[in-house]
Amino acid sequence: MDSSDEALDIIVTNVVATFRTRCHLNLRTIALEGTNVIYKPEVGKVLMKLRKPKITASIWSSGKIICTGATSEDEAKLGARRLARCLQKLGFKVRFSAFRVVNVLAVCSMPFGVHLIDFTKNNRPIASYEPELHPAATYRIKHLKATIQVFSTGSITVTGPNVQNVATAVEQVYPLLFECQKPLCK
Amino acid sequence: MLTNTGPVAKLYLSIIDDVIDSMRELFLDEGLEDRVLDDLRHLWESKMMQSKAMEDFRQNNINSSNFVLQLPASYNQSDQELTASVVIPASQNVHSFPVKNSSETLATFSLPAALAYPVQIPAGVTLQTASGQLYKVNVPVVVTQAPAGQQPVSHPTQKVTERREAPASHPAAVQPHPILPHEVEPSSLPASSVTQPKTSLAPSQESCLPQLSPEPEGTLAETELSPQPEPVNLSMTASPSTQLFNFQISAEEVLTQTAQTRDVDDILKQAIEEERGKAERLDLDYSYSVLSDIVQLDGPADNSDLEEGDGVPLEENDFLGIINAEAIKALQEGNGSSDGNSISSSSDSEGADDLADVEEEDPLNSGDDVIEQDIPDLFDTDNVIVCQYDKIHRSKNRWKFHLKDGVMCYRGRDYVFSKAVGEAEW
Repeated sequence: MDSSDEALDIIVTNVVATFRTRCHLNLRTIALEGTNVIYKPEVGKVLMKLRKPKITASIWSSGKIICTGATSEDEAKLGARRLARCLQKLGFKVRFSAFRVVNVLAVCSMPFGVHLIDFTKNNRPIASYEPELHPAATYRIKHLKATIQVFSTGSITVTGPNVQNVATAVEQVYPLLFECQKPLCK
Repeated sequence: MLTNTGPVAKLYLSIIDDVIDSMRELFLDEGLEDRVLDDLRHLWESKMMQSKAMEDFRQNNINSSNFVLQLPASYNQSDQELTASVVIPASQNVHSFPVKNSSETLATFSLPAALAYPVQIPAGVTLQTASGQLYKVNVPVVVTQAPAGQQPVSHPTQKVTERREAPASHPAAVQPHPILPHEVEPSSLPASSVTQPKTSLAPSQESCLPQLSPEPEGTLAETELSPQPEPVNLSMTASPSTQLFNFQISAEEVLTQTAQTRDVDDILKQAIEEERGKAERLDLDYSYSVLSDIVQLDGPADNSDLEEGDGVPLEENDFLGIINAEAIKALQEGNGSSDGNSISSSSDSEGADDLADVEEEDPLNSGDDVIEQDIPDLFDTDNVIVCQYDKIHRSKNRWKFHLKDGVMCYRGRDYVFSKAVGEAEW
């Protein structure tokens, strides 16, 4: 009937990764001499935006850097390395270490609507739905550490620690959604 | 040498005056002659004039009530958009300008960019600068491009008499009237060369559009009545200097923009008074240029000075100070190789865990693995704005700037502003 994956387009919209430079960074120097930087002294970080892999990095003085906005894990790594190279050029003894993808956000659209009340009833402890708070039902897959938000239009957003987990989560949830489908009302 | 000055030039000259005067005592105490100080002053002024030579050049526009003429952008250094609405009276002998728009009452002309001066403007023409300054020309005039520093004072009187003698002849007979950069104060002008526009300007400066409208209407009626040379009625709106002039018919709204310098107020008041008192005179004067100095390059909603071309350099330079790409590159070369070596050597000595981490993650070789920024310093321009900020806002990649009290160097010219608003995309 319905295979799990089917040709559903899982579009990865955001990949968040962190890495360490293993050296203290002088934020003021980065803010003054770096290109495309935003200094936020009240928070204590510098945002550096890259164009080529379109990413935004938050740089702390401890040397910890969070890199967001990439559309794939490889892109995130490439962007992070470019960023480290930028910092190296500014004069800091940067060592690219502890690169780790922390979060992947993907969206997917079902070809059918979902009846959220039924869906929540069928998956009682795992799914939760509070329409007054948020219009989507939340489904958490513990062993995958993935969270899926299901909207009545059939669109879902999936967040997980890596792309593989996200794909697996979509496969897992698809049959459950299929059971509670409803025709999209126009 | 200091005669033709715009608002920026005036500011700079006043700064020079202040500095020199305050240094005078110190110099004398040191035992240096006064001459040294004067030499310094001359040197400073000449250098400043050189670099800003273009900026001092102001055009004079003549208003004609029936004709709105737009002067070409190429004449000026700025890239003002040309917007002109021109009404050409059928009876006038107009030039062969391409007509861009025509409404029932107005025909718009914009002078071709390659238009060479002198330009002959028939009577009954209203010229509008890009910034909205309106000049009504009641007498056929010829607009020429005068070299910087030229004194127009002597000309107007001559022209007035000549024009009166040959009122009927339009373009051919019109004496070339040099468009002069902003000039001497009205007080220095001979009485004959009245700054009619000044009188009209004074009210306009205070956003007295309504006040001006009766004046231009009056002159408009006059010009329409006869092709004879009419007293030039300048209805100029105070605005910072602009190169282009689009003149709207008096019947239309007169754009007013706030003048930036205190001088403008005085000039305008004088101009208006004189204009009223001297309806018979042609007014081709430098007072226009003075007023044009007031012309504001950008209106409150205008982003031209902060727009695309400037966007990136403005953003980089303004927001973060001046970035020297050369210096950064030099630094990179020096550090890159040395860092690579030190990293690999230190990693060997680390513990197992660290080693695994470090070795896996570490090869941040100097340029091997990591590709350098593909587009480093795209626009290493000299367009710089030095100012204070009221508010800088960003949404995703859209930036909005509210700036104040600044000096902008754009394409070699200096612009001083008390408020600037801009938008840019990164």
